[in-house]
Amino acid sequence: MRWTLLGAVAVLALMTSVVLGPAAVPLNELLRSDIVWSLRVPRALLAFLVGGSLGVAGAGLQALVRNPLADPFLLGLSGGAGLGAVLAIALHLPGPWGLPIAAFLGALAALGLVYRLGLIGGASLDPRILLLGGVAIGAFAAAITTAIVSLADAAELRNAFLWLWGGLSGASWDSVLLVALYAPIPLIVLLAASRPLDLLALGEESAGYLGAEVEAVKRRVYLAASLLTAVAVAVSGVIGFVGLVVPHIARLTWGHRHRALLPAAFLGGGALLAFADTLARTVVAPRELPVGVVTALIGVPVFAFLLKRWSIA
Amino acid sequence: MNNDFMTEPLLGLQDVHYRYPGATSDALRGVSLAIAPKQFHAVLGPNGSGKTTLVRIALGGLTPLVGRADVLGVPASQWSRQELARTVGVVPQREDNLFPQRVRETVLLGRYPHLSLWGRERAADHDAVDRALAACDAQHLADRWVWTLSGGEYQRVRVARALAQEPKLLVLDEPGMSLDLKHEMGLFELVLDLVEAQGLGVLMITHDLNLAARFADSLLLLEGGRPVASGAPGDVLTQQTVETVFSWPVAMQSVDGRPQMIPLRQPKESRA
Amino acid sequence: MLRRLSVVVLVLFACHTSARRHDAAPAHRIVSLLPSFTEILFAIGAGDRVVGRTQWCDYPPAALAVPSVGEGLPPSVEAVAARHPDLVVLYKAGPNVTAAQQLERLGIRTVLIDLNRLEDLAPAARTLGRLTGLEQQAESLARAMDGFTSTNLHQPPPTSTIAFVVWDNPPIIIGHGSYLDQLAAQAGARNVFGDIAAPSAQVSLETIVARDPQWIAVFSDSGTPPAFAQRREWRAVRAVRERHFLLLPGSLFGRPGPRSSQAVRELRDRLEHDVGAQHAAPLHETPRR
Repeated sequence: MRWTLLGAVAVLALMTSVVLGPAAVPLNELLRSDIVWSLRVPRALLAFLVGGSLGVAGAGLQALVRNPLADPFLLGLSGGAGLGAVLAIALHLPGPWGLPIAAFLGALAALGLVYRLGLIGGASLDPRILLLGGVAIGAFAAAITTAIVSLADAAELRNAFLWLWGGLSGASWDSVLLVALYAPIPLIVLLAASRPLDLLALGEESAGYLGAEVEAVKRRVYLAASLLTAVAVAVSGVIGFVGLVVPHIARLTWGHRHRALLPAAFLGGGALLAFADTLARTVVAPRELPVGVVTALIGVPVFAFLLKRWSIA
Repeated sequence: MNNDFMTEPLLGLQDVHYRYPGATSDALRGVSLAIAPKQFHAVLGPNGSGKTTLVRIALGGLTPLVGRADVLGVPASQWSRQELARTVGVVPQREDNLFPQRVRETVLLGRYPHLSLWGRERAADHDAVDRALAACDAQHLADRWVWTLSGGEYQRVRVARALAQEPKLLVLDEPGMSLDLKHEMGLFELVLDLVEAQGLGVLMITHDLNLAARFADSLLLLEGGRPVASGAPGDVLTQQTVETVFSWPVAMQSVDGRPQMIPLRQPKESRA
Repeated sequence: MLRRLSVVVLVLFACHTSARRHDAAPAHRIVSLLPSFTEILFAIGAGDRVVGRTQWCDYPPAALAVPSVGEGLPPSVEAVAARHPDLVVLYKAGPNVTAAQQLERLGIRTVLIDLNRLEDLAPAARTLGRLTGLEQQAESLARAMDGFTSTNLHQPPPTSTIAFVVWDNPPIIIGHGSYLDQLAAQAGARNVFGDIAAPSAQVSLETIVARDPQWIAVFSDSGTPPAFAQRREWRAVRAVRERHFLLLPGSLFGRPGPRSSQAVRELRDRLEHDVGAQHAAPLHETPRR
């Protein structure tokens, strides 16, 4: 029953993304409209894929670092991506894919650094260090980014910060195809880790005694969640709160079993981002809000409500 | 796997030596232990005597430098975690459950070692959960939230989870810590019942000399990593041994044919 | 000195328009912190008095001989002071107000001048004329630029539509609040985003597609079409598909100034005669790799 409802919400989110927009496209012309097929449909699909990926990555990370406040962007990836993007602009990297590729590589570099830090205590990946290292690396990258922006041509790079705030304007069938081919692998890896993630909630020691290969699981989950986040940042900038809030909302109905939670987080995250993007495109039309602003504006009150509920419990 | 594994002890430690990397002395020196089905073994000793190290080696977390640590004849470190979890159920000292759960859900986690990667839980799994709860007299707790349970009730639930694994060997690490009298006694009675009724082997680490002596078949007393004495409680817990190992004067009594120690007072000189 | 300071403080606090000086002597060592001001100063004959400029001040060519004091927004107070100016002219914006206060504390006279739309040009010229004592020369320049005041705006009926795209991801266009909107109107092109009051704004790509401007104007000194023209989603815009780009050099079009009428003429020429516009056959789909 609740799955049907969630599925309906997801379909509704996709449909409103396609039907609504700043350009008035009458319903009877919807199927023939170039705007719809070249812009709105790929953008709706990309929003769904990115939102879903962030929701699943967030759920996986919260289980891995055993911290319900974890967000995929706490791992320093957004800082790395921003630095990559700014370097791409400052160095005038050619081609329309220069910026996303540079952002992706920047995110990977941050991922590598934080992973290396996480292994500092020995062969075991320490989730607390992952969190702290992520914040540190992210701050470091942000500082370098700001330095570059202040030293180079101001105007262009100020616009780079707008990109970083998150936006699906770059959506096209190319980017949809890219994400649709790339994302399933880390998504399946995370889904396959559902049971070990359930066990990890008991603590690493207990999880091991209940059959989880704890070290291998931690590595796989960290890498899969980070790779999902990296591609999300590369195509759409930093869209906050989806990865943080969606897993919590999903847990309210589906509980903590990751076999149900992860798919629910995917559908929920996808629907949320599709709705948020529709709002971003329509509330101040013809102008557009950065979608990261809309998710934060929705996410913060929801988060406050959840915190209240949580502290009561 | 050994074909005649049924003749192998559930847990077999032979002359195990271990030293932690960077340590100046051995944590375990020449420890041997064999646990067969229907045997209740307790490991005792003062703090730092190597009890925790022994459990880690027994469960394959550490590899002995000298000697063997086998489960059903195969070195513990060679078992895959999942296979080992089908054979050995562990109730660790500490558990830190991050997310709120109901009792039934948390006991169901004990079935995970039996589940295939993508397969769903079957009726047999839910039956195993029910049986485990029944064996621990915890059926009435099944739908309660875990965080509403008392310490004693939660301990029972964790034992039920280990039972749900359908193990042959049960390992409990200081299970009586922070339990009140009723619950601690109840726990020992439960463990003994499991040994007798279900034929499990049990390895228990405990501080409680008296309860270990009352309930266990065999004791192993460690000091500084070395086995001081092992065997029947009456043979291990003599006044002289206890006073030497624990550095405190005691008197010994017998209850139900088992030795019970009573610590003697040692007031400070100023009060004498 | 003290009287001057108190007047400046009063002025800075009280009004939003350019500061007026009643009885100050004409300035002879001027640091100009806006390319438009530099151009005006040279145009009224005060070029030899300019002792400092920003690195972006590149017109007229003689200005390049003047030492640069850096970026200019925000200005480096030390670099400016090192030129020993008796007058510093700044564009009226937040960071500059602070810099002006710092310069005043060093005893250097500063003037903040508004220059956002074309109608601000004549008053700016007159102010600079007064500050340099070159009122007459400034007046003739100002009269030429009076044609840009909102009341005198001779707007020909628009014969084409245009959108200025200053960034592609996210798409940022120029709105009514910018002088570029005025340039377009003067050149006979209607800014399809003239309904947006702000100087610039982020819009959805589909809005650009729906409003279907005939021309997409971008700042470009290289003469090559912008990188975003190759992106698949941008090809939904007809002007991108047909390569109807207006590539506008930054020096001439990037700022309002004495050459703005020249900019209007050039823009009109390009629109009417398709000169300088990229106008090749419509793009094929790029072959899949």
